[in-house]
Amino acid sequence: MADLLSISSIRERIFNPTKHEKSVARSSNPFAQTSFKGNVLTADVFVSENQNKDENQNVSFTGKLKASALVGSIAGIGNKIKAGIESVAAFANKIKDNVVNYWNKLNNTEITFEPAKQALSRANERMTDALHSMFDPGISKNQIAKMEDLSVAKQLFMDNAETWAIQAGLRAA
Amino acid sequence: MVDKKIVKNVKNIIDGLAMHQNPESVAILEDIGTNSPVDEIREMTAKALVQKNLPESLKIVITNKGKGINDMSTGVAMCTINELLSLEDKTEAIRILEDTVENNSDDEVRDNARSIKALMALS
Repeated sequence: MADLLSISSIRERIFNPTKHEKSVARSSNPFAQTSFKGNVLTADVFVSENQNKDENQNVSFTGKLKASALVGSIAGIGNKIKAGIESVAAFANKIKDNVVNYWNKLNNTEITFEPAKQALSRANERMTDALHSMFDPGISKNQIAKMEDLSVAKQLFMDNAETWAIQAGLRAA
Repeated sequence: MVDKKIVKNVKNIIDGLAMHQNPESVAILEDIGTNSPVDEIREMTAKALVQKNLPESLKIVITNKGKGINDMSTGVAMCTINELLSLEDKTEAIRILEDTVENNSDDEVRDNARSIKALMALS
């Protein structure tokens, strides 16, 4: 009878989990402290060997009921995970909407602050310079190192060194 | 104001000549680099000549008055000395320094060579 009561209590607790979430302390459930975010198996589904002997003699369907209760609890965990994933998706969508709104706002904002305008202009110039140097790399050291005819390298060196001296004001143009 | 592209070109030419295996590269570095009125070019050239670690290139920066360790610009001279001290194989440099101390006709060049030789022995 005591067993039947405990089975009915298991069913009641499994199918109404929120009602029993707070009651954690159970004697022989080794997973009680490591359950999923407080949703613990509150019923005592771990039965000792002695009790199993008694059950085999008296009530034969308890094993099936306990198994179905366990399966029900696992299905409940699945629902929890699904709910978690849905909440993460909702959060991501919210972030995305915020970013899109900010970007639209930025595009529609007219910049009137003068230093900001100058900074943007300088950034644009730097970008143009970087692109220019990317497509116009000048003389590379590997190119010089592999030159068979060093008279070309000598002429290049002479021209560039001369230009440097003129630009530095060390030699007349 | 010197154009950055010109500076970059000169640096790359000097680095390229330093990597070149042809002995003519040493002559080009001496003709144009060590005779430039620009300190930076003389400095880069002296470093390149030391890095080559050849008897011809080391002689240019050690035994010539007004070049390498004997440059009128302290910056160029110090830079050359630093590069000599950084050499992994100092054998050839020490040999040329000893030869300069014993045989060079200029007192200043001899004194400089003696000082660098002492520094190299300590390093």
